Amino acid sequence: MRITQGMMSNNMLTNLTKSYASLNKYMDQLNTGKKINKPSDDPFVAIKSLDYRSQLAQVEQYKSNASEVHLWMDNSDEALNSATSALQRLQDLARLAANDTNSESERKNIAEEAKQIRDDLISVANMKVNDRYIFNGTDTKNPLVETNTDVNGELTIEINENQKPVNINISENIELQANVDGGKVFGGKFFENINKLVNALEDDDQAVISESIDTIQENVDAVINERASLGARMNRLDLVENRLSNQENSAKNIMSKNENVDIEVAITNLLTQETMHRAALSAGARIMQPTLVDFLR
Amino acid sequence: MSTFHGLEMAKQALFTQQMGLYTTGHNISNVNTAGYSRQRVNFETLSPYPSASRNSPVMPGQIGQGVKAGTVQRIRDSFYDHQYRTQNSQTSYWQTRTDALGRMEGLMNEADGTDGFNKTLMDFFKSLEGLSTNPENIGARQAAIQQGVTVAGTFNHTANSLENVRKDLQTQIGKNDGTTGKLGDANSLLRQINALNKQIGEVEPHGYLPNDLYDQRDRLIDELSSIVKINVDYVSSGDSSLKIADGIAVIKLADEKGKDTGITLLEAEDRKLSDSELGQFKVEFADDSKQNAVSKINFVKQGTEKDIGITNIEGSLKGLVEAYGYLDGDDVLGDIPSTIAKLDKLAENFAKAFNKIHGSGIGFDGITTGLDFFTSGKDNTNGKITAGNMTVNKELRDHPEKLAVSTDKTAGNGDNAKALAGIIKKSLTGADVDSNEPPFGEGVSVLGYFQQIISKMAVDTQEARSNVANYGVLQQQIQNDRLSVSAVSLDEEMTNLLKFQHAYNASARSLTAMDELLDKIINSMGLVGR
Repeated sequence: MRITQGMMSNNMLTNLTKSYASLNKYMDQLNTGKKINKPSDDPFVAIKSLDYRSQLAQVEQYKSNASEVHLWMDNSDEALNSATSALQRLQDLARLAANDTNSESERKNIAEEAKQIRDDLISVANMKVNDRYIFNGTDTKNPLVETNTDVNGELTIEINENQKPVNINISENIELQANVDGGKVFGGKFFENINKLVNALEDDDQAVISESIDTIQENVDAVINERASLGARMNRLDLVENRLSNQENSAKNIMSKNENVDIEVAITNLLTQETMHRAALSAGARIMQPTLVDFLR
Repeated sequence: MSTFHGLEMAKQALFTQQMGLYTTGHNISNVNTAGYSRQRVNFETLSPYPSASRNSPVMPGQIGQGVKAGTVQRIRDSFYDHQYRTQNSQTSYWQTRTDALGRMEGLMNEADGTDGFNKTLMDFFKSLEGLSTNPENIGARQAAIQQGVTVAGTFNHTANSLENVRKDLQTQIGKNDGTTGKLGDANSLLRQINALNKQIGEVEPHGYLPNDLYDQRDRLIDELSSIVKINVDYVSSGDSSLKIADGIAVIKLADEKGKDTGITLLEAEDRKLSDSELGQFKVEFADDSKQNAVSKINFVKQGTEKDIGITNIEGSLKGLVEAYGYLDGDDVLGDIPSTIAKLDKLAENFAKAFNKIHGSGIGFDGITTGLDFFTSGKDNTNGKITAGNMTVNKELRDHPEKLAVSTDKTAGNGDNAKALAGIIKKSLTGADVDSNEPPFGEGVSVLGYFQQIISKMAVDTQEARSNVANYGVLQQQIQNDRLSVSAVSLDEEMTNLLKFQHAYNASARSLTAMDELLDKIINSMGLVGR
């Protein structure tokens, strides 16, 4: 084949352009840290990375949901804990009052403390977290317990119970009930039992006082039952949270494996390409210069 | 034999070698001229003396009379030209399509994950899930609505940008009358080639070879072959033209396999016509309802229109039309229109499914039901939602409390927000969009369908890119083959220069020898005995 100067310079230019394109590719990879910079570089990797990204976003969101569930559960647990202590204190008071050594006035004093504890239990039942009543199902804007004091100073207690569970997604298609059904704890005869004790204390009725030690135990049992079921759900939440963390980690790992460039490989490629580029340039410079003209006199 | 035979022969030799020198000079001068083919003077021996005739003197044999310059010919192989042009059409087609697809890919670049559909849709999903855990929170509602606005905005922006790319492509294709764009280029090239045909037709019958005009014409034909695939035939310009003359170029439109389509773009007889009488490419665009797609490209000559068939041809014109969109029956096909159509389908069905769930829910005020979340731009009623006009209901933007987060009237119920978030991830069924069949095919979600769009675009672009590379290599190779025959080699020209110079010098020496012989006869003879 007949080769002319023009052909050689054309070929050299084409090859240099290709060489620059490769240099550019490796530079891009190193600058961005990604194997691909546009979907067409590798459609398969690009689509997989879209998938991994949405998976990761989903897991992140479920983690944030799970911490929301945590907030509900921790607060409910705390509240039930203080309700138990309050109820136990009521039982202690009842035992103390049932004792024959106490006079009527002393029982009145005990009644005052029992009233305070009752008020405290009402505020526990109406506990708010983040401006939400946590014991009234999904009706978070209204309190569970409504109290009215009539003209005689008599306290009436009404329970507005909403039994709908607050369910929160903590994984794809997995919901967890975040709240404790307040009705099961504070509903029924809960406040009736307490009122019975308070009234008996005020009326100095020892027999009823002794009885109420047992009836208040029913209240304690109700609280403990709900706490037990809450505890079980908290355990499950911990398991799910662990799993979400693992999922997040593995999603990040696989995403990185899929789309992040291997720096060592990229740098080696770049250096190799650079060497080739230099070689091409210097060879080009040598070949381009001389023609026969240089050697004729 | 004539006394001055030798003088005459030396003079002819001097002239002829000089011609060789000049042509070498011409070659060297044009070493960097695009499309130039090196030229060669064909040296011929003069007819010997005596010629065979009745009155010829009796001599021991015929004696040579020297050299003459026969023709000046360009060195070129038309077989390579044919190959080059075929390849050129293909390379240009893929190059044009790659450019258009590349622009589309730039607009829908999902690779870096910092923005784009996937990200905004997932952000929307997150804000809805977050809202479901905090349904009482007006701020969380606001955030979810805002993410919805971003999703609609991303749809709008992408669809509008794609339309803008199409407008650019339309400009590149050209106006109806074929005066601008690629069509304008093709028509202008036809006129220029015709003008050269005309000049060549005037020169050739005189026995000359208009090499430089041939080169110009070949370069123009090369250019035309990048726009549409063509076949070139040559017809003689007249009986008195040389056998090796190229003749008049006749240009026929070829289909993608290289067969004649039956449409002749330039005929030999066209050189008698004026520019305005020549055939021209013209384009017809469909109306708005068909996205202004190319409905036909015609070749119009003296009143008769011939449809060239958009899908039949090859070259950059086809690349542009395929990217821009063309009518096939009632359907609009093409890279960008089909992507827009898919985005429209995605927007419409996503909005439908989303609105259906949203409409069934209950807002913060406990009463609002039946509101659409996504609406179609200007008029909030009934308009078909497309990627371009999708927007978030103004009612909701102004009153975030109306966002239907709940399934009952309690404030802490976020079940509807959960269902809304689910729409983004779940495989949509026919029931979701009130239709008989799943909108994106069985088991495909909104995200999944979007990934299909990106995947198709990415694969198309990748294919186009690799075709550009492959055909580019082939073209380069053919170009090299062609250059190998036609290009000027300076070394070769220098050698020729020496060759001709030496021959010139030697001829001059032979002239001197003749001069000395004659000097001897004229000045030194007849002096005997003096």
